[in-house]
Amino acid sequence: MDKIKIALAGNPNVGKSTLFNRWTGMRQHVGNWPGKTVEKKEGSFKYDQYGMEVIDLPGNYSLTAYSVEEVVSRDYIVGEKPDVIVNIIDAANLERNLYLTVQMMELGANLVLALNMNKFAREKGLKINKKQLSELLGVPVIEIEAVDDTGSEKLLQTIVKVSKSPNVVLDRLEYGNEVSEHTKQLEKIIDQDIPQLDAPSSWIALKLMEEDPEIIKKIEETGKGQRVLKEIKKIQRHFNDVFGDDADAAITDARYGFIAGLVSESVKKPKIDKVTRSDLIDRVVTHKYLGIPIFLLIMWLTFQITFTLGDPLGGYVEEAFAWLGETIAASMGEGFLTSFIVDGIIGGVGGVLVFVPLIFILFLILSILEDSGYLARAAFVMDRFMHKLVGLHGKSFIPMILGFGCAVPGIMATRTLENERDRLLTMLIVPFMSCSARLPVYALIVAAFFSAYQGWVIFSLYLLGIVVAIIVAAIFKKTIFKGMSAPFVMELPPYRLPTAKGALIHMWERGALFLKKAGTIILALSVVIWALSSLPVGVEYGSQESVTGQIGTVLSPIFAPLGFGEWQATVAIIYGFLAKEVVVSTFGTLYGIDGDGGGEEASDEEVSANETASVEQVSNEASGEQVSGETAVEEASAEEEETALEEDPGYIAVMQELFTPLSAYAYMVFVLLYIPCLATLAAIRRETNSWKWPAFAAVYTFVVAYVVSFVVYQGGLIMGFA
Amino acid sequence: MMSLAMATENENLKIVQVWHGGKFQKRLQEMGIYKDSQIKVIKNDIPGPLIVDVKGSRLIIGRGQAQKIMVEGE
Ligand SMILES: Nc1nc2c(ncn2[C@@H]2O[C@H](COP(=O)(O)OP(=O)(O)OP(=O)(O)O)[C@@H](O)[C@H]2O)c(=O)[nH]1
Ligand SMILES: [Mg+2]
Repeated sequence: MDKIKIALAGNPNVGKSTLFNRWTGMRQHVGNWPGKTVEKKEGSFKYDQYGMEVIDLPGNYSLTAYSVEEVVSRDYIVGEKPDVIVNIIDAANLERNLYLTVQMMELGANLVLALNMNKFAREKGLKINKKQLSELLGVPVIEIEAVDDTGSEKLLQTIVKVSKSPNVVLDRLEYGNEVSEHTKQLEKIIDQDIPQLDAPSSWIALKLMEEDPEIIKKIEETGKGQRVLKEIKKIQRHFNDVFGDDADAAITDARYGFIAGLVSESVKKPKIDKVTRSDLIDRVVTHKYLGIPIFLLIMWLTFQITFTLGDPLGGYVEEAFAWLGETIAASMGEGFLTSFIVDGIIGGVGGVLVFVPLIFILFLILSILEDSGYLARAAFVMDRFMHKLVGLHGKSFIPMILGFGCAVPGIMATRTLENERDRLLTMLIVPFMSCSARLPVYALIVAAFFSAYQGWVIFSLYLLGIVVAIIVAAIFKKTIFKGMSAPFVMELPPYRLPTAKGALIHMWERGALFLKKAGTIILALSVVIWALSSLPVGVEYGSQESVTGQIGTVLSPIFAPLGFGEWQATVAIIYGFLAKEVVVSTFGTLYGIDGDGGGEEASDEEVSANETASVEQVSNEASGEQVSGETAVEEASAEEEETALEEDPGYIAVMQELFTPLSAYAYMVFVLLYIPCLATLAAIRRETNSWKWPAFAAVYTFVVAYVVSFVVYQGGLIMGFA
Repeated sequence: MMSLAMATENENLKIVQVWHGGKFQKRLQEMGIYKDSQIKVIKNDIPGPLIVDVKGSRLIIGRGQAQKIMVEGE
């Protein structure tokens, strides 16, 4: 079978990964902002009798790399020589997109142009004459729609054809007399002196005139470049004298000039620019005063919706597991194995799986946000404030928002930050963003203490995460990461209506990862925790004498000043270092899943009715201030403790025994801020290539968590919230 | 002649000079911001970055960076 090696190249956010996923059935990260793909990814599929090997590249604007992920693309395009490069182009943005195309033509690449986003081009009133464009460039131009199959067949046919008889493109480029003359001159010398270079000498000549450091180095390394380099100096001087500008600027002009010529001959534009729908939305969303309130509102809605929909669904899962546990216990009787299955596995893994609906819904909403194009707006809105306060620019905020899903992709996304210092700093604060793994912990505690106010309490934690991240960043920027931040320029993609299918796939992708985590790491850890809670032989399961109990007891004085000096709370934090969901599975293995029998269910309802009533009462009086809500809840829960405790102690009762509302809040704050999970530390290690930074992150986040929780708890005590 | 940061919204402008050097100048070039190119400010709220229209695409550019780009009305 013949193999054809294809690279997908193009500007950021044009649909490369969307096409890649469609062809290979793989699941690369897709979303509506520039810079999602940060590593090249290979996939393969069969077409006709050909084995197609596709490489999805990070987006780039030119062959001069600027940030880490762009180097990958540039090196691939320049160095690897795929059989065919499919240059995906945002048709609504043709002129700028062709700038990269032209550069790949300079290199003599075997190109096929795939025009994507044609619907948006039409909306803008652009009419592209593909035939004309194709003739002028000497490259096939195919209209596609990466989200469905439009044009896919034709594109594949063309790829096969072009792989057999490569396009000849070098002589298509016309850069005007001034530039051409000098490149020709230079070319001649290169051909004479260093003919063995494996790139067209005209390309080398252009790159030298652009003062590309890597090409200059390459030429120097051959040892035969003296004449070439001297000639370059001469040309530079000439351009400076005649045009008052360097050769570099002249080449840019020449390229854009060539493109302008192409476009004027092949594209019909409307006379006046239409005001697009995107602009209209942006008038509100990026508004000077409304921008931040809108951002907060979107966040608030996200968590409110997550809880309103996810909580009842989670209740069903909980009942199912409780039933399963009871059934197994009933049929197997008391014993070692029963304890293993019911306490260890169902308690640990089931305890986390109860929150699957919550997590899926959160992912769904985040996916919709990502696909809509809002993320880039959030970066814009936050820049104002990040810039002044922190000295990071708004682009750093994109990894932070991704951190709401999971810190690992957030840390990967820092690759798009050009400045190494900014990148490190952003990596260090991304873990403060409240990721989906914290959600089960909040949900558990909120259900026990703040059920009437859950949306607000959780929202406050998310906000706290952002605030702490910003404060810490500001401190670091003034101490260990002193220096100017990189200049800020970023493309603002148009809003796009997210498709249901896209969002659901996206949700499933990440949700599946969570399920996998539950089935592997969390399962394994639950077994370990169960074992540690059963040992040494003879102790009562999950008692203070067990290993778990002893670990907790020894370390609990450390946490006593934060309000959660009970050994169970302590040990959950210790185990939770591995993955934050484990905090929940620890409680699950220790106490089992809330097997509410009929009677208890009734009392639960009663309790929440009770709580709601008193909270409402207080919020009427105290203008809904959150802290005062907590006291009200606490009163309610104190009453209820007596009734609930007499029955089978479920989660809620146990939680209320371990915590007061104040210490419960301090506990959530601690879980939010303390040491990032192992996967996050591993990601930091990978990205920084050293153990120093993950170690630093672990230590400093612990300190921050301790200090903030301490302040919350002790401050709360002083203010009288016992 | 004035800096881009001073420009009023929705006015068609021409770039006269870009006082950036090195890699960032290149980045601006490849995104469509270079001497003699056209640009339009879509949003210019002080403080904060600007949104500009360049060749039909929207770019966010930091205020500090915009201050170093000189433009004139067409
Ligand atoms: N309406 C529409 N949207 C599309 C089409 N192709 C891609 N998109 C959307 O455009 C956005 C960007 O697509 P990606 O495939 O992630 O773009 P990319 O080129 O891989 O981007 P980077 O990895 O950031 O360089 C996503 O939100 C896609 O859903 C299309 O043909 N029509
Ligand atoms: Mg991509």
